Amino acid sequence: MATNDKLIEVRDLKKYYNKGAIKALDGVTADIYRGDVVVVIGPSGSGKSTFLRSLNLLEEPTGGSIVFGGVDITKKKVRNAEGRMVKLDIDKHRQKMGMVFQHFNLFPHKTILENMTLAPMQVKHMPREEAEKKALALLKRVGLDDRAGAYPIQLSGGQKQRIAIVRALMMEPEVMLFDEPTSALDPEMVGEVLDVMKELAREGMTMVVVTHEMGFAREVGNRVLFMADGKLLEENTPEELFTHPKNPRLQDFLSKVL
Amino acid sequence: MEHFIQAENFNKIAPFKTLFLQGTAVTVLLALCTVAIGFVLALLLSTMRLSKCYPFAFLGTDREGRLRDGGILRAVSRFNPLSFIATAYVEILRSTPVLVQVFIIYYGVFGALVTLPKFTFFGFIKFERYFPGVVALGMNSGAYLCEIIRSGIQSIDGGQTEAARSLGMTQLQNFRFIILPQAIKNILPAIANEFVVIIKESAITYTIGVQDIMSAVNAVRGATFIIIEPLLVATAIYFCLCFPTSKLIAYFERRMSRGDKR
Repeated sequence: MATNDKLIEVRDLKKYYNKGAIKALDGVTADIYRGDVVVVIGPSGSGKSTFLRSLNLLEEPTGGSIVFGGVDITKKKVRNAEGRMVKLDIDKHRQKMGMVFQHFNLFPHKTILENMTLAPMQVKHMPREEAEKKALALLKRVGLDDRAGAYPIQLSGGQKQRIAIVRALMMEPEVMLFDEPTSALDPEMVGEVLDVMKELAREGMTMVVVTHEMGFAREVGNRVLFMADGKLLEENTPEELFTHPKNPRLQDFLSKVL
Repeated sequence: MEHFIQAENFNKIAPFKTLFLQGTAVTVLLALCTVAIGFVLALLLSTMRLSKCYPFAFLGTDREGRLRDGGILRAVSRFNPLSFIATAYVEILRSTPVLVQVFIIYYGVFGALVTLPKFTFFGFIKFERYFPGVVALGMNSGAYLCEIIRSGIQSIDGGQTEAARSLGMTQLQNFRFIILPQAIKNILPAIANEFVVIIKESAITYTIGVQDIMSAVNAVRGATFIIIEPLLVATAIYFCLCFPTSKLIAYFERRMSRGDKR
């Protein structure tokens, strides 16, 4: 499904803590094309989550650039159409990037339906009726339309994560970012979440997925990035990367996880 | 000294019943006004403490508009004057005795700087003494309530903010729809607790001549040379005010946690 239409262009991205003593990201360069399913793998502490969270600026990078839809979103100010420097409206860009977290982060004081309709109604000023209709349609797709009135605390982990995915879809994002979406789930619930993600990928959604699910990477990903120590060490198609790993760190990593 | 408590002494202080009743009314009114002032002040202070007001932020970015990596300019750019003022206020008020604060307000501010009109309201409350007492206690509880509100807001998991912001909500929308509703539920019991504390703490205003329950005790002692029995009456009144209040709070706390369905 991958195209040649470049959606996100990451150049030499750096994230330092303590004035460079800790390098969470040490010059990562990657391109994400429309329709891509990019899977990021690597040992813990390798910076893959930081990389993902930097893409919608939940982490503010120390250096480098992220060009999303033609705009470098790492800069505080951008030149607008008239050539004047204006403040970058990061909220506008975040609307186009859905994000799914390891710990779901559903709003516990709101029902499932309210969780989903809140942002479209407040941010996009969608009428309530339309938002609820859309939400129910999405809930039906993930088989949870009967839980619309429930609170997050009443759901299982897998159900919560499926809700989190459709909540992000409510904003009709151009790219979905998944930050270890199955890591906090009981093993028997991993499948139901991966199924939703697979379906999304089939529909052509651009996805960046940080995960430890190697099976998912192999089956769904069209490109796999291997990160270690804040660096992007290898990038390839899943078949190549898993069967003929070149970097010794990757060979070592794969020998442990596969 | 043959008897610690003498029954006939209660009969002797019985004529001073209205003093105690008036004192109780003063104490309750004092506590209510204090909480009202304190709460408004606390809202303002906690907003200041949590504000993201960085007037020197422009120093922290380079010409390209990118964040500097450390350095003195980056440090200056992170200075938040609003938060600094609020934090200083809270720390000073929390680190000095209430008695000192009450005296400074009464003798200092309203003794030397501002002259209050002298009049009596409800027939027995002297405004020029009552008002400084309320101001001093209100300022004090404002500092404590500020910390309650701030910690309540900060206790909400950072993931909530991340989820809201990643959906494109602004900082204000996140605060209004996500953080505040959850924070209020967490801090309501603590605020109600502060009310109980204030009822008891208000006894200190008797030192500046507010005619509360303790002042009634003192008046009775002056007139009859009896001290233990009026103190017992005062103890009973304070207990009757505070105990039901805290029981009521506990009831609401239980009811609210039932909503969690945990």
